[in-house]
Amino acid sequence: MSTYAPPPDTPPAVSAALTTANVQVTSSFRGARIVLYGAVFDPTLKPSDVVVIVRGPDAPLRLARKTRIAGIWVNSKPVVFEGAPGFYMAASTRPLGEIASFSTLRRLGAGVDHLRINAPLEQRTETRYGVRDVVVSRLGPDYLDWRRAVVRLKEKAGLYAADDDGVAFVDRGLFKAEIDLPAGAPIGAYSAEIFLFQDGQPVSRRMRGLTVEKVGLERALYVFANNRPWLYGLASVVIALGAGWLASVAFRRN
Amino acid sequence: MDLYLPIAEVSVNAPLLVALGAAVGFISGLFGIGGGFLMTPVLVFLGIPPAVAVASEANHVAASSTSSVISYTRRKAVDFRMGGVLAAGGVMGAFLGVEVFRWLRLLGQADLVVSLSYLIFLGVIGALMLSESLSSILRRRRGEAPKPRRDRRPPWLYGLPFKVRFPRSRLYISVIPPVLLGVFVGVLSAIMGVGGGFVLVPAMVYILRMPAGVVVGTSLFQIIITTSLTSVLQAGRNQTVDIVLATLLLVGGVLGAQVGARASSRFRAEELRAVLALIVLAVGLRMGLGLFFNPSEPFELMAANG
Repeated sequence: MSTYAPPPDTPPAVSAALTTANVQVTSSFRGARIVLYGAVFDPTLKPSDVVVIVRGPDAPLRLARKTRIAGIWVNSKPVVFEGAPGFYMAASTRPLGEIASFSTLRRLGAGVDHLRINAPLEQRTETRYGVRDVVVSRLGPDYLDWRRAVVRLKEKAGLYAADDDGVAFVDRGLFKAEIDLPAGAPIGAYSAEIFLFQDGQPVSRRMRGLTVEKVGLERALYVFANNRPWLYGLASVVIALGAGWLASVAFRRN
Repeated sequence: MDLYLPIAEVSVNAPLLVALGAAVGFISGLFGIGGGFLMTPVLVFLGIPPAVAVASEANHVAASSTSSVISYTRRKAVDFRMGGVLAAGGVMGAFLGVEVFRWLRLLGQADLVVSLSYLIFLGVIGALMLSESLSSILRRRRGEAPKPRRDRRPPWLYGLPFKVRFPRSRLYISVIPPVLLGVFVGVLSAIMGVGGGFVLVPAMVYILRMPAGVVVGTSLFQIIITTSLTSVLQAGRNQTVDIVLATLLLVGGVLGAQVGARASSRFRAEELRAVLALIVLAVGLRMGLGLFFNPSEPFELMAANG
């Protein structure tokens, strides 16, 4: 009887798979839950942490701040932010701050606080204290408020989430995480990154793709509306006028 | 039963939308208005993106107005010539309004302008209509004779050039006031997602002095033309018409409009106007007063393309 034991010098590794790699948005779509299963292969049995980062397609967005002018609340000029994914979820076995250092998390873009969201149109570079090319934002010291607001509003819409115990070990070396896509999740290509952390460092990384796409009638209508917008508009008016006429004919017979 | 809307990209409760369509259609048939001023705020409240709500609602208004205008035509209560002149203005207004709305969305001020428009137009018209209808109800209760209609029409209506005869309305006036009125309503239709009946009906009664019998039918006729054009323009320029949303609403809407149009003959005109005034006033205040309160969230997220 001999059990397979990897040679002790094999580096620790992580492996994972999604229950669904293709989410189909049909007329009955109300959001989806995808389960990610994975395993940690580590002969040394060092304490390991797993971090799962799911990102949706990037889409620039605009943010406006309400200011009071003459007694009424008015939107300021919108600021364009780039680098904000349309969907973002960070799940981990422990709070991210306990798993790795600030700089490591920042480098990996792990956690909503470390997303590379910026407002390029508001930025300029200048020389400060003799240092050239320092990036300065026109939003000034409020910049962090703006950035936080992006995350807060996305979290409210269910599009951003950070779950400190979203990754659970179900058996020795076997872990599981759940990804909840809301009905408003953007259409497009997603990626799920799975990191294995030991001693505060990512020692293994896996990437899994996920697509969310409209299918069937939803897709046909969406394509129609975008490829032939004028014909689509005419069709919608014909339906409206036709339905109005039909109803009045039907009621006249009664 | 939930349904995912392909353009709005949200999931909505389908029976609820059909019921809402029917309720607003009933009000529409009863009062001879499009009902858009009620439906658009409700759609936004349900989580439909405002741009999609405004555009799809124009489509719904076109359907319920068609449904009720046909019964008005049978009663010869539509002045097609006046409706045509108003619609000519409406067409210009719709082109203008869709572009203005596009520009406002880019500036990030579309919501502000929509809220202010609701507050100002609905507030003013609701208040005027309420005071007028209440005073005529009170006069009738006291057994006084109805206030004689002032037949002296404002001179500026007659001093203007391009006079045209409108036999069904028994008018011989310049086309300039109705065309300008049409332009104004066309712009509102594109910006607020309404047909504009709440502006047209009082304007036809108090400014153009048309006979009460043809006002509602004519207003509906002009609304069909303006909102149909607005739908096509919004779909073509902004891709914001959700055909599934519009269809759900109009299924209930066209039926509700028929029932409402039948019910309207059972009530007195001034009582109907008083109820409509209250609804108009309530919606205007609800939409507009939020501008004065401290917002719970100081930031607002918008899509990059407006």
